[in-house]
Amino acid sequence: MATRALLAVISSSPNRCFISTRRIKNQASSAFSTSPSLHFQIQSRKTHRIAPSFSSDTNSSALQPPDVSRLAETARISLTPAEIEECGPKIRQVIDWFGQLQKVDVNSVEPAIRAEMEGGNLREDAPETFENRDGIRDSIPSFEGTYLKVPKVLNKE
Amino acid sequence: MSTTLFRTIQPNQFTLLGTALFRRRRRSNFSVRCCGTQTTTTHEAKQPSQSRIAPKNHGSNKLDEILRDYEAVIGIETHVQLSTFTKAFCSCPNNYGSHPNTSICPVCMGLPGALPVLNSKVVEFGVRLGLALNCDLSLKSKFDRKQYFYPDLPKGYQISQFDIPIASGGYVDVDIPLEFGGGHRRFGITRVHMEEDAGKLLHSDTGDYSQVDLNRAGVPLLEIVSEPDMRSGIEAAEYASEMQRIVRYLGVSNGNMQEGSLRCDVNISIRPIGQAEFGTKVEIKNLNAFSAISRAIDFEISRQALLYNQGQADQIVSETRLWEEGAQKSVTMRKKEGLADYRYFPEPDLPEVILTQDYVDSIRSSLPELPEAKRRRYEAMGLGMQDVLFLANDVSVAEFFDAVIGKGAEVKLAANWIMSDIAAYLKNEDLSINDVKLTPQELAELIAAIKDGTISGKIGKQILFELLAKGGTVQGMIKAKDLVQITDPAEIEKMVLKVVSENPKQLEQYRNGRTKLEGYFAGQVMKMSKGKANPGLLNKILLEKLNAKD
Repeated sequence: MATRALLAVISSSPNRCFISTRRIKNQASSAFSTSPSLHFQIQSRKTHRIAPSFSSDTNSSALQPPDVSRLAETARISLTPAEIEECGPKIRQVIDWFGQLQKVDVNSVEPAIRAEMEGGNLREDAPETFENRDGIRDSIPSFEGTYLKVPKVLNKE
Repeated sequence: MSTTLFRTIQPNQFTLLGTALFRRRRRSNFSVRCCGTQTTTTHEAKQPSQSRIAPKNHGSNKLDEILRDYEAVIGIETHVQLSTFTKAFCSCPNNYGSHPNTSICPVCMGLPGALPVLNSKVVEFGVRLGLALNCDLSLKSKFDRKQYFYPDLPKGYQISQFDIPIASGGYVDVDIPLEFGGGHRRFGITRVHMEEDAGKLLHSDTGDYSQVDLNRAGVPLLEIVSEPDMRSGIEAAEYASEMQRIVRYLGVSNGNMQEGSLRCDVNISIRPIGQAEFGTKVEIKNLNAFSAISRAIDFEISRQALLYNQGQADQIVSETRLWEEGAQKSVTMRKKEGLADYRYFPEPDLPEVILTQDYVDSIRSSLPELPEAKRRRYEAMGLGMQDVLFLANDVSVAEFFDAVIGKGAEVKLAANWIMSDIAAYLKNEDLSINDVKLTPQELAELIAAIKDGTISGKIGKQILFELLAKGGTVQGMIKAKDLVQITDPAEIEKMVLKVVSENPKQLEQYRNGRTKLEGYFAGQVMKMSKGKANPGLLNKILLEKLNAKD
């Protein structure tokens, strides 16, 4: 569970110190005109190749301090200046911890795309209606008639 | 039945720009329409209902010239909504058109503590489509979270596949219809990945609010990303309709564009011919018909080419444009500033997706004959490309046709009946071939009965329409209605003599040179025989009698 929480924090950090580091580089360097398709291919190939060598070329000193204001913005959270001040060092600690992890030599280890979990837990395609749907709808503050009512939105991001 | 051949690309209402473009692209070879020489039936069904000839327009030559210097580069992202019984990660029913916000549960609503469990059908459909598109499959793939905030996305992220999709590196073959220049093309498939759909937003025209229906949130999708291999609106539309055929052949989706079960986003840039780098890419959304794909792309090509030509290439910016079907033009929806930052990371709530080779092999061996294989098979049977494309377009029609020829019917005759009278009937009655009472067995019987002369082609048509509407058998109908063709020369001669003797005036006119009146006599004899006289014999005997000197 702790790992999951960390993952969430780290992934929203502008540094992308976890697996995302490479992706951002690729994104930045690929010309905008390149099709997303080509783009994906390059990335997926690189991910496979790069995975085992994580430890060798990164260390904690190379990581940038977190931009807490931007982080808060991407997470749609409002923070006071005092809170920003307070959060910075805490997030920094987490990032530094990943810096330590990245020092571990994993050259001889087969890259894992996911943590070890019990496989084969797929679900049958058999429908089941969730009983307490009213409970869900009642908890939506802006439910009107049969729809959720939200401010008018036309464009994404 | 949204067949390629019924699909009409309508040049009307198009802007000046587009009109010119269409003229250029439509180097039609109309002669191909007159296929089939020994047909007993007509081919109206195949004729496009709209004129393909664009109106004359004087500004067009210049645009044609400009367009000659540029090449378009087009890639397509296709979202296919899967026809599973349940959503991708929870057991909520996946029903289009349910009462709003009734197919929801803690998982698809993103409530705290709810955990997703992958639907096995989604994996199966992903593998089926991946194999059908000649892709390499990842025996191990994973899910990732794509994060953005939007009211149709309850969890605040979409579960998708980012760097390791289930299938990648494939291709698809299409045949361009003859009226668009014909030819065979192969387009690369970059990847196919599994993901979930978002809810549906309805925007009120008056109020300052939007409404959300979350029944669709969590419905499984396969996203197919093409290589940027297409060069024209027609190629893109053909690619998209091949995707529709493939998902329908495979049974993974109903492929219905109006309901949003098949959605295409087009990426397009143009570049001077000879230039290796791509130009600035523009994305077009809201394309819910194949004709819209074709026209939106051709509109965009000419828009960009004109900007280039006027030295305003800097005005081609990276943006998403929305196709307006009514106005036949695209408008800016939003400009893109840098790449969207979705902060992908591996979905911690789902294990990796592991496929065994045995599983993949078993699905491979259960794949149906795919559209491309069918087209090649029909071609090898000697059918023309027009017939091939029509028959292979709709999987139900193709199966019906296969069943008819399986009963021994002659290939070309079977194709003609299906493509003309049956297709016209289906269109008029708004039915699918599965809805009619006519069985492949009886169509084969009907064709045989005409061929061996038991009934005439004309009677055959009458029987056909009865069979389509009411069912029954050809033999039963021939017996019950006494429809057997009259092939006895003596009997026909009797009727001819009777008609000739009853029309002395016309006979005289005929013998004075109005030989056209032969048709009148033939008609009278046919009427007397209730359509049963053998037309060949009738004409032969009639001419003898008319020209006899007595």
